[in-house]
Amino acid sequence: MEEVTTYSTDNIIEIIGLKKSFGKNCVLNNFNLNVKQGENVVVIGKSGAGKSVLIKCIVGLMVQDSGSIKVFGDEVSKLSHDDLDVMRAKVGFLFQSNALYDSMTVRENLEFPLRRHWIKSTKENIGDLVMEALTNVGLAETINMKPAELSGGMKKRIALARTLILKPKIILYDEPTSGLDPVTGKEISKLILEVQKKYNAASIIISHDLNCAKITSNKIVILVDGTCYAMGTYQELSASSDKKVNQFFD
Amino acid sequence: MKYAALKFFLLETGNIFRFAIRFFKEGFKPRYEFAEFLKQCYNIGNTSLPIVTTTGLIMGLVITIQSHPAMEAFGTESWLPSIVSVSLVREIVPVITALICAGKIGSSIGAELGSMKVTEQIDSMEVSGTNPFKYLVVTRVLAATLMVPLLIVLSDTISLYGAFIGVNINQIISFHLFANQVFQKLSFGDVLPSVIKALFFGFAIGIIGCYKGYNTQNGTEGVGKAANSAVVISTFVVFFIDLIAAQIADILHIL
Repeated sequence: MEEVTTYSTDNIIEIIGLKKSFGKNCVLNNFNLNVKQGENVVVIGKSGAGKSVLIKCIVGLMVQDSGSIKVFGDEVSKLSHDDLDVMRAKVGFLFQSNALYDSMTVRENLEFPLRRHWIKSTKENIGDLVMEALTNVGLAETINMKPAELSGGMKKRIALARTLILKPKIILYDEPTSGLDPVTGKEISKLILEVQKKYNAASIIISHDLNCAKITSNKIVILVDGTCYAMGTYQELSASSDKKVNQFFD
Repeated sequence: MKYAALKFFLLETGNIFRFAIRFFKEGFKPRYEFAEFLKQCYNIGNTSLPIVTTTGLIMGLVITIQSHPAMEAFGTESWLPSIVSVSLVREIVPVITALICAGKIGSSIGAELGSMKVTEQIDSMEVSGTNPFKYLVVTRVLAATLMVPLLIVLSDTISLYGAFIGVNINQIISFHLFANQVFQKLSFGDVLPSVIKALFFGFAIGIIGCYKGYNTQNGTEGVGKAANSAVVISTFVVFFIDLIAAQIADILHIL
């Protein structure tokens, strides 16, 4: 993989005072976060802490109650449907459940975002892009298989290939290693790191997996009671004496 | 608590109407999903062919066999082809075929969209820059609205052939004579109302299946419930539409 080393210092994602409730349950409360281009931010928190809600708000799948989310400088909640589609073309989202379309083959799954975003390519080019994406995740031989024929790790890789096929500037990973054995989980984590280097993409990685956080993170955010309780590198946070921080690293 | 069921019924009815209004709002705006529409037409039409044709044949055969003794008793045996064909085309075949479609198509749409919802495939589609309502709902509802009437017309034809076989069990009659007797009584005015109500049957089956699937909650348990309730509500709505259609046809006939 070709490494891109030009890192900008501009914030590509800016979240200020984010609040999101479900009924009386306030999952995000005055949450703030900035992500720079080329930076991998891992968000750690307990189950139900609002981690997935956070990235769904970023991509406009959920609307926040209050606060601001700016992606590429644009306020997400104020984007029109068309503008949201343009923004989403530059944002990759890896779902926890992979969300591969069951009725389609791997090839069709990967072609889907290309065709949706009206990529002006010939049929051969689309084929080349699909093959390149599959080769990047080491699963070129699965091109004509259906998702049901793949193992959990393979599905995750295919989902990652689909996420990357539009060469996104931002990638949001929702628990990319959940449900995988430690070896496959480590492979996926290394793949995330390679993606960061290859595309210079900014990533937010929601994870419970400390190994994944250790391998992939430039910065870790600890989400407690809906707010950003602590932030730092893996080394800084793992050495912390704070009980609420320590509980995640014990 | 006393009125909880009534409140749920009214809310659900309102939500289905809102869902249908959204269909009309979004269905006619570009971008049009022709490829997916054709795929759904094939899925709905082609996969329903065996069951619809088989039941059509059986309906024609059974109604004729059942009617024969009564008509023989009144000495109107020669009217059998015309009477049976009118009752088959106007009422029995459209309703029974719509009920079969409600079971087959309604449950399949409900379960498919439901499982897509709980496995985040619909969210994934939205993130991919696709309007999932247009891609999944509009195409399926249009396909059901188009294919159910076609299936009913096909089933009408097969059921008439079933009636021909039924008539020939007790007497020998040529197909030419049978067809003559059928079309002496069966007019365009008998076929048109059944095709029009079939359009409404198809629309109702599609919209209810999609509504239940698209709004599935509570994981895989919800998928089963969505498929089940899609069938139950579609079945009820088919009868309700048939009731309204009978009243309208009757009024127009009087006028």
